[in-house]
Amino acid sequence: MDWGKIVRQGLIGGVALSFIVAVGLFEAFANRMVIDPILTSGWVLVLWVPVVFGYRATRQVVPDGATVRAARPADIAAGAVTGAIAGAVLGLLVVITSAKPDVRDTLLALSPSLVQRLSFGHSVGYGFGVLTLGGAILGAIGGGIDLVPQVVRRVVSTVVVTILGFAFGELVVGDILRSLGLRSVDQFFYAQSRGLKPLGAVILAVVFVALRFLLKGKFKAIRERIPLGTGETEENRATRRNWFLVLGIIALAAGAWAPNLFGLYLNEVLSNVGLFILLGLGLNIVVGFAGLLDLGYVAFFAVGAYTMAIFTSPASPAFDAPPQWAFFQALPLVLIAAALAGLFIGTPVIRMRGDYLAIVTLGFGEIIRIAFLSDWLKPLFGGAQGVLQAGFFPGEQRGGIIVQWGLVLATIGIITLIVGLLRLNATRLITAGKMSDIRAYSQPVTIGLLVAGAALTIFGLVSPGFAVWKIYGIEPPSMFRITLVFVALAAFVSWRLRDSRVGRAWMAIREDEQIAQQMGINIVTTKLLAFVMGAMLASLGGALFAVKLGSIYPHSFEIMQSIIILVVVIVGGMGSIKGVMIGALVLIGVLGGPTQPGLLREFGEYKLLVYGVLLIWMMLKRPEGLWPEARRAKELHQEEMLQDAWLNVEPASEGVSG
Amino acid sequence: MSDERTPLLEFRNVNTYYGPVHVLKDVSLKIYPGEIVCLLGGNASGKSTTLKTILGMVIPASGQVLIDGHDVTKWTTSQRVEHGISMVPENRRLFKRMTVRENLEIGAYLRKDKENLEADMEQIFEMFPRVKERLNQKAGTLSGGEQQMVAVGRALMSRPKLLLMDEPSMGLAPILVAQSFEIIKQIHEAGTSVFVVEQNANMALSIADRGYVLQTGQLVLADTAANLLANPQMRQAYLGEVQ
Repeated sequence: MDWGKIVRQGLIGGVALSFIVAVGLFEAFANRMVIDPILTSGWVLVLWVPVVFGYRATRQVVPDGATVRAARPADIAAGAVTGAIAGAVLGLLVVITSAKPDVRDTLLALSPSLVQRLSFGHSVGYGFGVLTLGGAILGAIGGGIDLVPQVVRRVVSTVVVTILGFAFGELVVGDILRSLGLRSVDQFFYAQSRGLKPLGAVILAVVFVALRFLLKGKFKAIRERIPLGTGETEENRATRRNWFLVLGIIALAAGAWAPNLFGLYLNEVLSNVGLFILLGLGLNIVVGFAGLLDLGYVAFFAVGAYTMAIFTSPASPAFDAPPQWAFFQALPLVLIAAALAGLFIGTPVIRMRGDYLAIVTLGFGEIIRIAFLSDWLKPLFGGAQGVLQAGFFPGEQRGGIIVQWGLVLATIGIITLIVGLLRLNATRLITAGKMSDIRAYSQPVTIGLLVAGAALTIFGLVSPGFAVWKIYGIEPPSMFRITLVFVALAAFVSWRLRDSRVGRAWMAIREDEQIAQQMGINIVTTKLLAFVMGAMLASLGGALFAVKLGSIYPHSFEIMQSIIILVVVIVGGMGSIKGVMIGALVLIGVLGGPTQPGLLREFGEYKLLVYGVLLIWMMLKRPEGLWPEARRAKELHQEEMLQDAWLNVEPASEGVSG
Repeated sequence: MSDERTPLLEFRNVNTYYGPVHVLKDVSLKIYPGEIVCLLGGNASGKSTTLKTILGMVIPASGQVLIDGHDVTKWTTSQRVEHGISMVPENRRLFKRMTVRENLEIGAYLRKDKENLEADMEQIFEMFPRVKERLNQKAGTLSGGEQQMVAVGRALMSRPKLLLMDEPSMGLAPILVAQSFEIIKQIHEAGTSVFVVEQNANMALSIADRGYVLQTGQLVLADTAANLLANPQMRQAYLGEVQ
């Protein structure tokens, strides 16, 4: 047994536990039930630590970068010792806190009630004992995890994920059940005071374990029919394209109809995710494609939002007689304003690179925000009061006409879709196992029908009249639909740009600007184009933001926004379109944006802490992002493997001989 | 040497400054179609600045740069590349994280006749079969010699009339230096004029028709390669002959 490693992992685990408790996470979640009244989420935040460190203490890294563990009974003991050390460190914190109550002067969270809770209502000595023992048990589980059969591990992981998912997703599940008219189901599973009922938890766990084993291999079987990375023949490519087309159409149709079920909260969260995908895709063009680190990116978001606001609001400070345009009327102006802003910020910094560019753009971002805040431009943008009632749609005259169009478009779209689906022989498609030869069904006519149908349906559904406009902002499902359409548009534009001539030029500039210039690439226009394209995508986000909130203030456009957008791009995978989407989904959707709540909205003020931890972990373990562009992942991991091999040659050979 | 043909490239009394530093002093030179001309000189003699001035990355304070008889002094780099100038940079400087194919495609960035690209690439593969084998590999993973081939291929993809080569022997093993100059000869035989900037005077003069010698920004010698090789002053200063 490697005692040094065990002690080290145990102490790190103990520090992690103490940190979680000392920053107040444990107390903040102490009353938030996961299973009422057995388990609170405060404990969930703590319990995983000894398990993970017990596991880490017993694993071995070999030179090729893979983790190899020979499961031995001794691992249980090693894990138990690790967990016990971690638990004891936390116990020590409790003892110190009760002995010296003035630590509370600096660490507010170390309160008497915390001591009470962690000593389980008895003396601190008792608490110390229980924490150490508990740590040992959990550590033993972590250390011995490879000793139990895989089936058991699968069951346990499914149970844990199911219960946590349903407990933290309570609000969303409740909303969906209610919009399906199943309020009684909601009441059956969930306790009055939030959290699952014990019986509900058991039923859910059983159902999902059963599902997992029933569906085992089914998804894989379907996935294997899609030829991914198996030889790039033209046929494979065509098959894959058709698969993605079909999946895409299903996703679009779902995207058009599902929001009605989602309820207010999930729609709100998903709209925010969409917003940040738009912003992230725009920034991805500037940073990921062209390699220009822009830290003032929020400026373009602000320009989009303000332009939309002053042209749609009846309280627009810029006009004596506000034009009160509809959203889609103002949109072209928004794009033009953003393009001009892109030129305005891009031109002076065109000769700068790297750090200098980052600093200067940071400054420009602030200049634009302060300009919006200033008294000087108050007659245009309302200064600190901002612009109110953006996206205000008075009367029904204009809306009335558009309603007709929306319905007509949607109807035509749905008919086209049905015809397309019939041609696609939908029944044969849906019955599993009959998907073998999808190419046969996907003639150009069918594809054309499907695409046209989906497009018409969605545009019909999102057209201003179909959505129910409210006085301030718009209804969340409609908001989400519009966002979805914009995101699809932005993703398409990004994708086409990346593979285009100018995309190659951006890539060349990112690699070596001077040589790119020698190859005849016009550095100035190409870089400016990156700024302008990025700005236009950001302004789409800004326009949505304006009508969504209804009121626009300068303080919505702080530097923090720029940073968060950049974090979304980095976490997702720089230069990767799908990466940006995953990044936004994980960060904004699950954790929440700077001012927007996510699915785990309980985290509230601890959000940025989690962001920080996630970012550090990513930089260490997955610097290429969650879902990177293929080329970049390979690159980084090749280097890393070489490094690892180099670093580990000595210790590994020792390990083998000893 | 007077010649009635229009020079492919001509410098007329070019003066270039970097801030207060006078880098090129009244430089005049000519390169005629079908020639290999070399520019020799030590460190900081202004060789790289000459190339940058040809490509328009540095604009001379006075004097004229002419390509094919057109005054291009005020033209941008892109316009000059379009007019048939292309460069193999010092140390090759490939786009390391892009594939070999992408590197070649960037070389043809300004070409309008996209339909001929594949054929041109085939020609490059004929010259360098190794490049074809490495086509989908990252340029950064190639060996020095292979990178040199890709760098030359990339420059040729713009179908240049005049190929500029900045220190083709730099950072290559002796056997690859010889190979590199062999490549230059091949390109020349295929009808492209070449302007080689080198410190390795022996090597450069062995393939060149004519040569210029640059010393702290001034042209001190201009003659045929054979005469330069025989020039005693030259032998002493650049060809490593000990008195």
